[in-house]
Amino acid sequence: MTPALPAIHEIWVYLSGSPLFALILTLSAYQVGVMAYERAGRNPLANPVAIAIAIVAAVITAIDMPYAKYFEGAQFVHFLLGTATVALAVPIYKGLAALRGRIVPLVAALLAGGVTSIVSAVGIAKLLGADAAIVGGFYAKSVTAPIAMGVAERIQVSPTLTAVFAVTTGILGAILAHFVLDAVGSKAWWQRGFAVGVAAHGIGTSRAFSVHPEAGTYASLGMGLHGVLGAVLIPVVMQLLK
Amino acid sequence: MVAGLVQILLFQGLGELAARFFLPLIPGPVIGLVLLVLWLRLRGGVPESVDVVATAFSQNLGLLFIPAAVGVVMFWPHIRSNALAVSVALVASVVATLAVTALVLRLLAKEPPE
Repeated sequence: MTPALPAIHEIWVYLSGSPLFALILTLSAYQVGVMAYERAGRNPLANPVAIAIAIVAAVITAIDMPYAKYFEGAQFVHFLLGTATVALAVPIYKGLAALRGRIVPLVAALLAGGVTSIVSAVGIAKLLGADAAIVGGFYAKSVTAPIAMGVAERIQVSPTLTAVFAVTTGILGAILAHFVLDAVGSKAWWQRGFAVGVAAHGIGTSRAFSVHPEAGTYASLGMGLHGVLGAVLIPVVMQLLK
Repeated sequence: MVAGLVQILLFQGLGELAARFFLPLIPGPVIGLVLLVLWLRLRGGVPESVDVVATAFSQNLGLLFIPAAVGVVMFWPHIRSNALAVSVALVASVVATLAVTALVLRLLAKEPPE
């Protein structure tokens, strides 16, 4: 028994020093999250991303690994967010055909929704006495997380906090959309999908695709347009306010 | 697959360069996205290799958020001391955004309701 202990310890030191541990942890937590989501019959409450985040957070807390150390390894996954953002060009390009004949209502809804998301979140947070760092995290939270983090860096607020709020917004939107859209009497799939894409970006969009393909197409269009618009307008608005 | 990834990375690189030298306020990948949309318009279609990579990314977008979102661990005490403001703002904002977007669409769309 005794000779095995230092060996295990050495393996552990080696693994936790290389990016491999953080990568394995991140990918397997996501895999568990996806399996749980499938097992729960794609129930929006069993969101795979939320499950994976909880697993990774619990593991690194339990083994006393500092977040910065975890991120050092996991940054290879994180880097691909930028690439995934560029890849959003494909669903946007495909969705452009769907714009035809509906451009006025869609653009008006996008502007109204984008303004509502910022004003309501920042306003409520300030009203309830949140501190400046927290309020800063709310500016970009309604645009898709990879773009939100880029915007956060530009406007000098915490990208991490912004990402946490963006991901939470996506999960909440995916869970609540059905009830809210029924309550306001929204019936057409393209309108329901677009609203979900604008309000709950990527996570809402993947939920919309699993409900109805037309809703999914319009959701990805809403997410993409909101992302581009947010990236252009949020820093400008912040600059004007300063 | 590789050809598609190369093209997407190329546009990401172009976007980063444009952001660095011309448009410092806009994130590079967003500029790359816009340039790629323009390129696809010019070309009049999506190359299959690009489509494969883009589909793989959009199906697993959630995975890519995990490293950043685990940062919640780092901010946990900070978030907890603002718990009420954070949770009310997040829930109310997403409900308001959904409702406003859907209502504007319903009022402006001229099509007869299904």
